[in-house]
Amino acid sequence: MIPSLHIEPADPRPIWRQIEEGIQHLVASGAIAAGAAVPSVRDLARELQINPATVSKAYQRLTDAGVLLVKRGDGTYVADTPPELPREIRTRKLRDGAVRYAGLAVTLGVPEEEAVVFLRDAWKSLKEEGGPG
Amino acid sequence: MSLIQVEGLTVRYGRRTALDGVSFEVPDGGVYALLGRNGAGKSSLVRCLLGEQRPAAGRTMLLGREAWRERARALTEVGVVHESPDAPPAMTARQLSRFCAPLYPRWDGDGFSARLRRFGIPENVAFGKLSRGQRAQVALGLALAPEPRLLVLDDPTLGLDPVARRAVFEELIGDLADRGTTVFLTSHDLGGVEGIAGRAGILQDGRLVLDEEIETLKRRFRRVSFAPGGEAAARLAELVPVAVASRGWRVEAVVSGWDDDHPAVPPGATVEVSALTLEEIFLALVGDPQ
Repeated sequence: MIPSLHIEPADPRPIWRQIEEGIQHLVASGAIAAGAAVPSVRDLARELQINPATVSKAYQRLTDAGVLLVKRGDGTYVADTPPELPREIRTRKLRDGAVRYAGLAVTLGVPEEEAVVFLRDAWKSLKEEGGPG
Repeated sequence: MSLIQVEGLTVRYGRRTALDGVSFEVPDGGVYALLGRNGAGKSSLVRCLLGEQRPAAGRTMLLGREAWRERARALTEVGVVHESPDAPPAMTARQLSRFCAPLYPRWDGDGFSARLRRFGIPENVAFGKLSRGQRAQVALGLALAPEPRLLVLDDPTLGLDPVARRAVFEELIGDLADRGTTVFLTSHDLGGVEGIAGRAGILQDGRLVLDEEIETLKRRFRRVSFAPGGEAAARLAELVPVAVASRGWRVEAVVSGWDDDHPAVPPGATVEVSALTLEEIFLALVGDPQ
């Protein structure tokens, strides 16, 4: 099983795209190492309880993008030097997270300057824990 | 080629019309889910599909053969799992497999045994002594053993607990991975269906009110929440609402004409827009069963 790859039924994105972007994200963040094996189409479909054709579509697109590598008769692997997360996906994820956080601050009546301080603190504590900087 | 073609299917019981001019197709390799509340006409449709019932008008074609006229030939390449599967209660799974094998041109007995082993179901216990989940698994195994081109499942997980339900879907997913069998299923388990079906049809009062790819369906349906009397309320009609309800100080509408690229009512501080699951879309269209 790929760590923390989840399908969200209420997500407006099609399932194959959720898988595609999910794996892209896990590879870019280092949660799945370069060169590591990924589950077969069949195993991932069973794990997520979805149609194998859906997984296959996502894997095909990831292979075309150079993120995954199919070794014939062996299995599917993360490429040795996978490309970075496409800029538009990174931007969108950041913007989505920022909107959620800002929304929370507004709901709680926290002014902008104070909310930004919390963000900096969170950043600092993550770095001290040795997470990605 | 379409493995199922339903054309203008109409079924009447006395004066009551159970199916009213229903038409749709299931292409080779597709997974089609037929949804509907109890009494919507699903059972009548499945009976016609399997050639068990003669329609008042229209016809159903299975692998290019008319189901009612050529039932036996049409069904040789079709695997069927009925709602609450039945078999002689004294027969064991092994006996059932041996009994069914000569009825089909192909029979994968080893595959059948392997499937039961995978789910820990004994082959030498009488069918009547198995649990509901185990019976469903045996029925699915018997349906898959002839390596059918088409699988027809009539609510295969009805009355099963979540673990047994998952086991049925896992087996189905495994078969889709191995052979890409075309599947037609009815189900109450919309969460389970959502991941594996490519296309869904919704029956309501005998009519097919929807027949669409699940991906496009989920793209055009949204829940929109806004304050009454504002601009959003004025432009709501453009989004083709299917259900509108007031929730406290706000209005909540499920709309069917959403377009992410050109939202008629842009999401913002006063307008919340969220996507829906297949189950939520279904409930908005046909109403809550309660």
